[in-house]
Amino acid sequence: MSILFVLLTLQVSAALISLAGTILVIAVVVFLMASSSSEEDKYTAKHKVYKVRGRYFFALVFCITVLLIVSLRLLPYPNSQMPPGNTVTVVGAQWSWKLAPGEFNKKVNEFTGKNEITLPVNANIKFVVTSVDVNHSMGIYNSKGDLMIQTQAMPQYKNELQFKFQQPGDYHILCLEYCGLVHANMAGIIHVQ
Amino acid sequence: MIQITPLEKKQQKKLVTIWSITFLTLFPILITLGLLMRLNQGEEINLKANTFYALMTLHGLGMAGVLFSIAFAALWYLISTRYARLRVGVGYFVYFLILIGVVALTIATLIGKFGPGWYLLYPLPFIGTSWKPWSTGLSIISIIILGIAWLIGMLHLLYALAKAYGGITHLLGWQYLGKKEVQQDLPPIVLISTISLVPGVMAFLAGAVMLILYLLQYFEPSLTFDPLLLKNLTFFFGHTLVNITLYCGVGWVYALLPEFTGREWKTNKVVVYSWNATFFFILFAYFHHLYMDFVQPMPLHYAGQIASYLSAIPATAITMFGVIAQLYHSKIKWSVIPLMFLLGTAGWAIGGFAAVVDSTIAINKVLHNTLWVPAHFHTYMLMGIVLFIFAFLFYISSENKGYSTDIKTKLGFWIFVIGAYGFLTMFYLGGLNSVPRRYSDYKGIPIQSTHQTGVLLSQIAVVFIIVLLAGLLLMYISLFSKLLKKEDTVEMPVQA
Ligand code: HEM
Ligand SMILES: [Cu+2]
Repeated sequence: MSILFVLLTLQVSAALISLAGTILVIAVVVFLMASSSSEEDKYTAKHKVYKVRGRYFFALVFCITVLLIVSLRLLPYPNSQMPPGNTVTVVGAQWSWKLAPGEFNKKVNEFTGKNEITLPVNANIKFVVTSVDVNHSMGIYNSKGDLMIQTQAMPQYKNELQFKFQQPGDYHILCLEYCGLVHANMAGIIHVQ
Repeated sequence: MIQITPLEKKQQKKLVTIWSITFLTLFPILITLGLLMRLNQGEEINLKANTFYALMTLHGLGMAGVLFSIAFAALWYLISTRYARLRVGVGYFVYFLILIGVVALTIATLIGKFGPGWYLLYPLPFIGTSWKPWSTGLSIISIIILGIAWLIGMLHLLYALAKAYGGITHLLGWQYLGKKEVQQDLPPIVLISTISLVPGVMAFLAGAVMLILYLLQYFEPSLTFDPLLLKNLTFFFGHTLVNITLYCGVGWVYALLPEFTGREWKTNKVVVYSWNATFFFILFAYFHHLYMDFVQPMPLHYAGQIASYLSAIPATAITMFGVIAQLYHSKIKWSVIPLMFLLGTAGWAIGGFAAVVDSTIAINKVLHNTLWVPAHFHTYMLMGIVLFIFAFLFYISSENKGYSTDIKTKLGFWIFVIGAYGFLTMFYLGGLNSVPRRYSDYKGIPIQSTHQTGVLLSQIAVVFIIVLLAGLLLMYISLFSKLLKKEDTVEMPVQA
């Protein structure tokens, strides 16, 4: 069971769902091409298709409702129920990340921090993320290279991200919002112990 | 249906032919920019980062603009020859304005190295830039010119349709919802054009506000604006533009596919309800671009996901099932035109499915701004609207000349499709492996495996892009020989 959980990352689930959808579409295309050689008068053909469509419609509405209800509970946004833990301020700048413990309430361009930080494993961390210049996005990658979570770093705004590192190791921050010339080299590191 | 003189028809035909040739010239050039980007990401060539981003910007703006233009021109042609009188002079005016805009943008990107991406996300055009300052001003002005051109064109079209069908509520099909017998049939393509162009006009107005603010800051750098507000405006504009490009294409699927199946496809209550609902989904779905802005008000996040999910209902249950009802047991002859309509609908479905997955907030947190995003929108652009466009081009180039298509065309088509899906698969795999989008190369990624995966997938993508181009070439050969062939004089009266 736990192996399944490790293998079934969000990315893999997205892949499986999309693959299933694609196969369904291909099947319909092949079916339509293969069956088009026979002829049926248009009223009976239409009637048959519309019967299927009726069932499809109700199935779809049902699925959408269920999926919305389930997925809208799994939001990445901060909730007040989460017990307070360590706070880390993150400031994006062309083209590096600055991190430092604690909340920072002065002007962002006075903020000093380093490109790396050490944080405890299995603790609730609250990242307060902003930018001094243009938009960036703080994407947190685990050591295997899976993107775990992200939030935008927008100037004049503070995005709060709550996250718990469940395994020790080195996590990387990559910039996920195009911010100019050196965007592809804007990385930071989080050591989790 | 309107009566149109052969002379008028000839003039409109000439206009659409000019549009088509312009599109067919620019399209492979823009693909080549994509090829160069993939070559660079695959570490086969070594572009400077500022060159890469200038190419990326030109590719993105160019593709979005050129596809919208040709989609609009196609609608214009079909409407002007069948449903409402349009002034060909306005058509040429729009064409030349767009040409000016495209040339100016090309200069700004290729010479000035203007490179903030297609979306010019505020305040990137103004801070820490690597391009010539004049190119920022030139780009903003040329996008304003493009916007004005489209706005004029769309308003002219809407006005002519409203006149022909008795007002905007009739264009929206509301007469079908009452009890009274409907006097004048509303062709679905007219309904769909309205549903696309009204949000289009709104989006361009929003875009105009945004660009004017940009222009103000360009001339007066001490001014600054709210980045969150401008991000909302940007995506309302950009998302809507791309979204309605696709719907324009869907419009002519409704109009042309029946000519091949011999089954009519008419407006009725269900069609009206579904497209009126689509109107709202077009307006509200764009919020899914801002999920990762946690400070955006929560109801807007919800609205984004709900609108995105619900848009699947009319798209699949009405339009796609409509296509199925057209084709099922229809004994259709599979010339390349209906084939492109079918495969185009499939591409729309596949890309749309991947889009719905990504529009799930809980999943978006790991797919946003990875290669998954270009993966899904390239799917419904390249394998959706582009196929609809080629179907239209083959259609008009065969008008009065018979629809026979030779085996070379079909072969070219299938090669194109295989190349395209191969290229797209590499984008999807990139997204699943968390490879970020808009990276000029992957050398700076500190995670070894991500770097290597990114490079490998790019290299494979290059091979598929070349396959795609080969298929395209085959299709071009037959398309051009048709477009340039004289029409049969028998069916074309000489004088009005
Ligand atoms: C075979 C054809 C095409 C190829 C090879 C291609 C290739 C690419 C590549 C490599 C990127 C950059 C991806 C990244 O790393 O972020 C890109 C971005 C993009 N492409 Fe394409 N593309 C093709 C067709 C299209 C079409 C048909 C459209 C129509 C709208 C399109 C619109 C865009 C846009 C809007 C972007 C984003 C630009 C930005 O991020 O600012 N492309 N394409
Ligand atoms: Cu960045």
